[in-house]
Amino acid sequence: MRKTLIFALSVGLMGGTALAQEQRWDGADDLPVNPLDCAGAPGEVAAKPYDGGQPNNPPDLAGKELVLVDVPKLIGIGYFNATSKGMQLAADELGNVKVTTDGPTKANIDEQITFIDNFITRGVHGVLFAANDPVAIAPVLKKALDKGIHVIGYDANAQPDAREWFVNQAEFNGIGKALIDNMAAEIGEDGSFAIVTSTFTTPNQARWIAEMWAYQQKCHPNMKWLETVEAQEDNILSFNQATTLINKYGPELNGLFGMTSVATPASAEAVTQAGKCGEVAVVGLATPNGMRPYVQSGCVKSVVLWNPVDLGYAAVHVARAVADGKLKPGDTQVDAGKLGTLPVVNGSEILLGPPFVYNMDNIDEFDF
Amino acid sequence: MAIAIGGRTRRLRRIVVGQEGVLLAAIVLLFLVVGALNPRFLAETNLQSIFLGNAYIAVAAIGMSMVIISGNIDVSVGSLIGCMATLSGSLAVAGWPIPLSWLVPIVASMAITSVMGFLVAYLRIPSIVASLGMMSILKGSLIIVTGGAWISNLPDGYALAQMRPLSVPMPVWFMVVLTAAAAAWMRYSAAGRAIYAVGGNAEAARLAGISRERVVMMVFMVHGLFAGIAAVLFATQLSVIQSTVPPNLELTIITASVVGGVSILGGTGTVVGSTLAAVLLAAIGSSLIFVNISPYWLRAVQGVLILATVLADLARRRRQAAHR
Amino acid sequence: MATADPRAAMPGRLHGLMLRHEMVLAAILVAALFVLSLQTDRFLTTDNLLNQGRLMAEIGLIALPMTYIIITAGIDLSVGSIMGLCAIMLGYGWKNLGLPLELSIALSLLIGTIAGAVNGWFITRVRVPPLIMTLATLALYRGLAEGISQARSVRGYPDWFFVLGQGELLGVPTQLWLLLVATVVAAVVLARTSFGRMLYAIGSNETAARFSGLPVDRCKIAIYALSGFTAGLAAWIFVSRVSTTRSDMGTGVELDVIAAVVLGGTSIFGGTGTILGTALGVVLVQLLKNGLALTGVKGDATIVVIGSVLILSILVSNWLRARRGVD
Repeated sequence: MRKTLIFALSVGLMGGTALAQEQRWDGADDLPVNPLDCAGAPGEVAAKPYDGGQPNNPPDLAGKELVLVDVPKLIGIGYFNATSKGMQLAADELGNVKVTTDGPTKANIDEQITFIDNFITRGVHGVLFAANDPVAIAPVLKKALDKGIHVIGYDANAQPDAREWFVNQAEFNGIGKALIDNMAAEIGEDGSFAIVTSTFTTPNQARWIAEMWAYQQKCHPNMKWLETVEAQEDNILSFNQATTLINKYGPELNGLFGMTSVATPASAEAVTQAGKCGEVAVVGLATPNGMRPYVQSGCVKSVVLWNPVDLGYAAVHVARAVADGKLKPGDTQVDAGKLGTLPVVNGSEILLGPPFVYNMDNIDEFDF
Repeated sequence: MAIAIGGRTRRLRRIVVGQEGVLLAAIVLLFLVVGALNPRFLAETNLQSIFLGNAYIAVAAIGMSMVIISGNIDVSVGSLIGCMATLSGSLAVAGWPIPLSWLVPIVASMAITSVMGFLVAYLRIPSIVASLGMMSILKGSLIIVTGGAWISNLPDGYALAQMRPLSVPMPVWFMVVLTAAAAAWMRYSAAGRAIYAVGGNAEAARLAGISRERVVMMVFMVHGLFAGIAAVLFATQLSVIQSTVPPNLELTIITASVVGGVSILGGTGTVVGSTLAAVLLAAIGSSLIFVNISPYWLRAVQGVLILATVLADLARRRRQAAHR
Repeated sequence: MATADPRAAMPGRLHGLMLRHEMVLAAILVAALFVLSLQTDRFLTTDNLLNQGRLMAEIGLIALPMTYIIITAGIDLSVGSIMGLCAIMLGYGWKNLGLPLELSIALSLLIGTIAGAVNGWFITRVRVPPLIMTLATLALYRGLAEGISQARSVRGYPDWFFVLGQGELLGVPTQLWLLLVATVVAAVVLARTSFGRMLYAIGSNETAARFSGLPVDRCKIAIYALSGFTAGLAAWIFVSRVSTTRSDMGTGVELDVIAAVVLGGTSIFGGTGTILGTALGVVLVQLLKNGLALTGVKGDATIVVIGSVLILSILVSNWLRARRGVD
């Protein structure tokens, strides 16, 4: 028995050690990275022709009541509660839109597809979605388009031809730049950092990390990239993983990135409980409610995020504009109520704006 | 006198060569190998973190072990812990006295597992059916009630799991004291021994005058007690409560129990083994990061190590049987 | 498909009891169909029902060998992970090893079968209890899927590949044909062959089965291998339906499948159960989810309903059985 154990341990550990060494992270989807300019001047992107899909013979709904469903990646988490709140806000404001949110209880590609499929059968005018996987969701979205249903994405995109428009909270390279610049400002150009993410297969997180890598290589070449760990969407696991990283690297670790609204507060908690506030910086994507204790205690200086309430709000306005015929392929901007006009980028995406940075001064102005 | 000494050495021998021995050996071996590769692994803070972050799993695994020893199973425990943690946090935020916000979820947890125990013991519903059903009901209800809103702004003094009496983290105290108490209870009390009897051979237990119904009912209630305590430790570990069901928590807890030597067929196993197994699983998770396993292969290596522990235990049993 | 006489080997009384449970399920199913179709006219349409058949094919397929396994008093928790591993092997063989896609599909089915056979070998030859073995391989196979894929997804399959998952044959979804054929074959094998009788014999009393000279070990290895193969088949269908491959595919499938099987009346202690029951269980869960969604019930409430139905259906069968015992 002892032999079995020793054998398994040595094979496992030694073999694994040899395999290790963090390779360059490329987002795992063979898409090109596009790091922004270091100085922060927004890169001029060449205008692209409209590349979205179109519904097949949609009913004429101009000015009529519009029934929408919202299928987020999963229900029951703070982030999608906030987008859903924004949608209700827009619906109340417009008066002629009805929107309901329903979706799977875990971020599961299969269940999400089933939900959308059921809504197609039930008969709605439009589907708002945040995709768990851009390719897997495409067939069912195309089916919706085929039945004359308007399809608008937000938060997490699908293949462009499977939806009409995508409301983009912030471009991948913009997030990558904001995160790396904030980290560099806190830990300096020679600092080293590690990352806590949800899973390596989650598309948005994978793209952000890929863009962070590209931008760091270009603009902060001396920063040291230690390691990326998975922590699902589980806050105690995120806490444990962040604690392990702190213990493993000791003084070598200057900063932690949290890639999800679960991982970032848990990393901040790990730093707080380890008594390392001020020594280990935490930078990441998170909602203000989750981060308030750590920002107020001064342990976390800044949090990067768009306003998810605005994101949901914009998605409903886009759907209304499409149904009213006010947003057509080739248009360059759309009116989004209190958010003003939003620009069309990348052919068929509507950009919410640059990512937002929360800090001690403004965090109390937000409740989501 | 001679008999007493003989009894003691036999007991010692049993501990050394039992499943507990295998697990202890595995833990020590793991610490030595990983410590040699990266000395920081053995730093006191890291050892504490390993225990601290996973003690609630060990506590829940105690109750789970009793359920499994009695010949049953509960796959709803993850959802139960998620619900009770949310309940605890909500009460605290609503201004209930802090001790009540710890106690009420424990009582509620026992009430819920009593329902399951009643279904299993008196209405003869197989425990996997009852607990699968309960899992769906709890998971769905939690989302209906909370909508997934996080609980923050918890009052001062609520964070039970962050207290450190005698500079040892509270969850570790709970883990050690509860394991010892449960082990003694299972071993020396009539009620505890009846659990083994019911799981091992329900018919013989019946003939010996033990009521299967009452024992199963009791086991589920005790399980609810431990799950409730685990939920409070879980809720108070961080400054925010996620109010969702932690993914795959039930599998982690059941794995700790069965790796700890609890036979799924019922009748054998100890809670000391399940606690050691919970520690081992946590140590494996942490050590793999320390020795730079490629993160992609982490779960595969974890699977191999679990399998190795199980096989080592089987080999031991086989050898013991041959010696007898 | 009345599965005429499911258990020739079983005592008549027990047999009667089992059919009782299927009657209860059928009654619940009919009642649910009736109530739901009153609520919405979009539920009881050919289109919708065929579409539901498409969506339940993976769970339905895996539930068939799971029924066999549970009848022998075993369990297989690793099916979801095998599904992920096979999906990855399918994509990896094609994209990274450069195999023709046909060969890659065969390879992934082979890997699935081997993965299942490994479970069966350890369970029979090393005597690892099934729950422990498959709990360990649940972690191991998922880990292999993640390690081999390096968390990369494989996309861009050729058009013919999507026929199985997205296409139709004679107006019926392709995979539904596969599910129907597999269900009938599985039912006939269980009810009409000596192999089927052997499964019940093993589940009722394994020691007795061994003493009467039945090849218990070979039979068990075969059903675990079959379970792995079916999980591979489900992976193929699933990849074809969603047109991409990810290492997290099939996560949590094991509990859905086991819930359908036990809802179908197969006892977790072994010895009883029918394919008809399992099929009813799978269909009932799928149509409840669908029907409730179409009538506007939200997903969180739906899972509460399904959990309650699971407990209540077994409760009603138990009650009927107890009453019969009193009579």
